[in-house]
Amino acid sequence: MTMLGYKNCVLRVDLTMKGATMEPLRMDWAEKYIGSKGLAIKYLYEELKPGIDALGPENKLMFTNGPFTGTPVPCSGKLSVAAKSPATGTINDCSIGGHAGIQIKYAGYDAIIFEGKLKEPGYVLIEDGKVAFKDASDLWGLGSHEAEKILADRYGHDYSVLSIGPAGENLVTMSCINSDYYRQAGRGGIGAVMGSKNLKAIVVRGTGGVEVPNIVEATKRIIEIMQQDVLQEDNTFVFDYGTTAFLEACNDGGILPVNNFQDATDERWVEYNGDVLLQGKKGKRGCGSCGLGCGNFLQIGDAICEGPEYESIAVAGPNAGVRDPEAIVKFNQVADNMGLDTISAGDVIIWAMEMTEKGIHDFGIRFGEADKMIQYLELMAKREGVGADLALGVKACAAKYGGEDFAMHVKGLEYPQYEPRGSWGMSLAYAVSDRGACHMRAYAPNVEVFAAAVPPYTAEGKGQMVYELAESNAVKFSLCICDFWGTLNYETMAELLTIVTGKTWTVEEMGEVGRRVINVARAFNQREGFNRKDDTMPKRLAKEALKSGAAAGQSIPQEAFEDMLDQYYDVLGWDRNGMMPDEMICQL
Amino acid sequence: MKITISLRGTLPNQLDGIKERVVEVPDHCTCDEALKSIGMDYTKMKRFGFVAINGKRVMIHDRLGEGDELKAYSSISGG
Repeated sequence: MTMLGYKNCVLRVDLTMKGATMEPLRMDWAEKYIGSKGLAIKYLYEELKPGIDALGPENKLMFTNGPFTGTPVPCSGKLSVAAKSPATGTINDCSIGGHAGIQIKYAGYDAIIFEGKLKEPGYVLIEDGKVAFKDASDLWGLGSHEAEKILADRYGHDYSVLSIGPAGENLVTMSCINSDYYRQAGRGGIGAVMGSKNLKAIVVRGTGGVEVPNIVEATKRIIEIMQQDVLQEDNTFVFDYGTTAFLEACNDGGILPVNNFQDATDERWVEYNGDVLLQGKKGKRGCGSCGLGCGNFLQIGDAICEGPEYESIAVAGPNAGVRDPEAIVKFNQVADNMGLDTISAGDVIIWAMEMTEKGIHDFGIRFGEADKMIQYLELMAKREGVGADLALGVKACAAKYGGEDFAMHVKGLEYPQYEPRGSWGMSLAYAVSDRGACHMRAYAPNVEVFAAAVPPYTAEGKGQMVYELAESNAVKFSLCICDFWGTLNYETMAELLTIVTGKTWTVEEMGEVGRRVINVARAFNQREGFNRKDDTMPKRLAKEALKSGAAAGQSIPQEAFEDMLDQYYDVLGWDRNGMMPDEMICQL
Repeated sequence: MKITISLRGTLPNQLDGIKERVVEVPDHCTCDEALKSIGMDYTKMKRFGFVAINGKRVMIHDRLGEGDELKAYSSISGG
């Protein structure tokens, strides 16, 4: 059946031939995967040949919104960006805020798929039904911020821009895509996929709308949900603090990493916590259709950024031995402009710091050297000097120079900033995440650290716990809802989806969609050769106990980790090698 | 014994708005008992998070000592 809320149209852009076609959305897939994350993975699973080069023209770069996009449904202004990852070889879907998702929807599309490769650097201009291919020779080599500024001046602020920086152009596999200057599709080298297509930017404007079954009743109920659910203190803390609010809790919880994950508590956390950073707050920003407005635009000295997010603070702060708030903000600003993922870029630099300090290989940088840390970002983005090596990522660098025991990654994707020895379930969440180490697939600290009576230092029950967290996020992100609507439950998801699409959805179906999305991502990776051998944790976590803080003395025994893996596979019905049976794949 | 109780996140507003107070509690009482002494029952609180003693996360039934700082957090969403 045709559901409302969708535009029922996919724009397919052939960059090689400079042509574009429109086709109906696979509504049968939308009924099973909804939109955004799930729908993108399903399309790529069906359309990408196994074993392709992620940086070759045969990879596809897919932008998907969801049925809520462009409606007043709160926190629905995001956009999924997906492709095979050049960093890991897995499926990779990212979520980016701002306004581009709504522009794409209003232009008439549920999804845009970029195929092939431009012969010369260019950008694509999409204005409703019109698609134009433009020369980008004046933009190539510029930072993402500078390129967006030029395009915004050229077309006006009614247009949204998605762009890459030098890192994406140079195919650095930790490069991101930017929009609204400070929003990123950050992980897995999604910017390098765009760069591999010689695509510097996408400029988009839509003037249409979204049809729902009963606009009066829908608006009335959405306003009620906004007031009763979204705008409660459990969610609105992000308006005041953003994710800086996590710093103190992570420190007290024993999961704030220090000096490349050598410890997990920093007695100097008050020097760069939210209260300090937000003294430089200059204004607020939020995505389209957002009721929470998490973006704090701030300036400290001559450093500016929106955020910074917890992840960037932690990796450029205590995990790098740095406590200078201005340096942390500057790191964020330069990484964004260079088009680098702050997590992965930061992780490879702090690994290099430890390599130098241990005398294994001299990368010319030690813990606490903030100025060098920031300089290295540009070297990495341009693959110059020491940056040429570090741009390879921590897995490849460790294979070349050693230090593999403390190379913090899974499948080649560098670790987010939640230390698993203080949250054992997080080691499992990172290990089984569909794109390598990611904290957005299942956020275990919510349950086992930030809770009063759940023991964090045990394997017991962690397979089921991580699965439930992953299922919930898989459906939430397939609805294209922001993570910060933390009180959102399946009942509200199903009710909103019914209001917007006109098809009746049940709570049970929400869980089924979540499980299906996890499975189709796993099927993609399984087809690429991934299995249990790749669902790993860094050796440091088993070999070294934490020294201080709440989790002092904790390490994760390898057998406990393997037990958690068994539990997780059992919950999903995969075999002990982490493989899905054929009959399950056939049902996707 | 005297301890300091600090409330984080949304918890102050769920009680009386006060973020930090010094209170007298029975010697070696548990975190749960100390919080109940100021009218806070974690089992009945909306989205109660976790507790920490002197900056280290502990279980709710762990015991306090003289002069300790007990922090109680509301639950945290997102990542």
